[in-house]
Amino acid sequence: MPADPNMKILVVDDMSTMRRIVKNILKQLGFNNLEEAENGQEALTKLKADTYGFVVSDWNMPVMMGIDMLRAIRADESLKKIPVLMVTAEAQKENLMEAVQAGVSNYVVKPFTAETMQDKINKIFK
Amino acid sequence: MAQLRAAAQSQPATDEAEQDDKAPDTKLYEELGELARFIDTTMKTLSEFSAPVSTSTEQLPQALSHLTNLKTMTEQGTHKVMLEVEAIQDNHIKLSGMLKELTLALQATQAAPAILQQMHAVSNAINADDKRLLDIMTALSFQDLVAQSVNKLVTILREVEHKLLQLVVVFGPYQKQAAKQEQDKASQMLKQLEATKNTSMDQDLADEILKQFGFN
Repeated sequence: MPADPNMKILVVDDMSTMRRIVKNILKQLGFNNLEEAENGQEALTKLKADTYGFVVSDWNMPVMMGIDMLRAIRADESLKKIPVLMVTAEAQKENLMEAVQAGVSNYVVKPFTAETMQDKINKIFK
Repeated sequence: MAQLRAAAQSQPATDEAEQDDKAPDTKLYEELGELARFIDTTMKTLSEFSAPVSTSTEQLPQALSHLTNLKTMTEQGTHKVMLEVEAIQDNHIKLSGMLKELTLALQATQAAPAILQQMHAVSNAINADDKRLLDIMTALSFQDLVAQSVNKLVTILREVEHKLLQLVVVFGPYQKQAAKQEQDKASQMLKQLEATKNTSMDQDLADEILKQFGFN
């Protein structure tokens, strides 16, 4: 099933520039219902308060890391089916196995292109 | 030292041996003396570094400040570029809409095919530029990588600052031949430093430590 362009997407990153970049890419890819959070903790609060169809999250964040947020999502009955795309820096590639074990839907290595993002979204929602 | 002790115990209890029996003690005493002298020399040598070390420690907050400014400046610059890119993207959406309407109007008036082709070419050019704008946008993710590297550098510098301040506290009283009261204060400061090891150190604490040892 292709991704619903109207689904609510949560972009989680502590860097405002990255949130803006990811949101811009998603907008260009046709998604307009975009929300943001600065860390895993804030993301969990938002996810529990509303219905989201997709989460794009950074790995390395203060307060709550992306991997911890992912584990919390997968452990929560009401959230566990939400696809999570993890965005990670090159140096953290070795952590990807950990993310896979935690139930990540797919991942993107920074810096990435709009084509890569599109490709990953297609794979998640195929 | 254990070997010396063992050697001392294994000596036979003869007159000659009694004289020899003192030899290990004398040797031990001399070795201890040499060790004390070595420690003293080392302490003096290390305490000579106290002044340059404190200078470095005083300058470290500036280095940290420069790095933080670097991160802020790249972040602000990146946002500025993003703002412009987003403005152009919005204009392109408006232009594309207008072009579409214009093309439909021209088609309704049965305009020459050459004109419609030109309209199509303009539309293609806008789409190609949209792709470039998106590439600019994604290229700006360098700022995130810069910020991460700066954060790592800041962490390393804070660790170095800790170590340098420990040196100042340890060797400061020795160099000044300070009284016991002052040495106790140094121990207290070391404990405070240790307590802040895994957190960012309070700049006031760093300044206070340097002040206590005569570096203002």
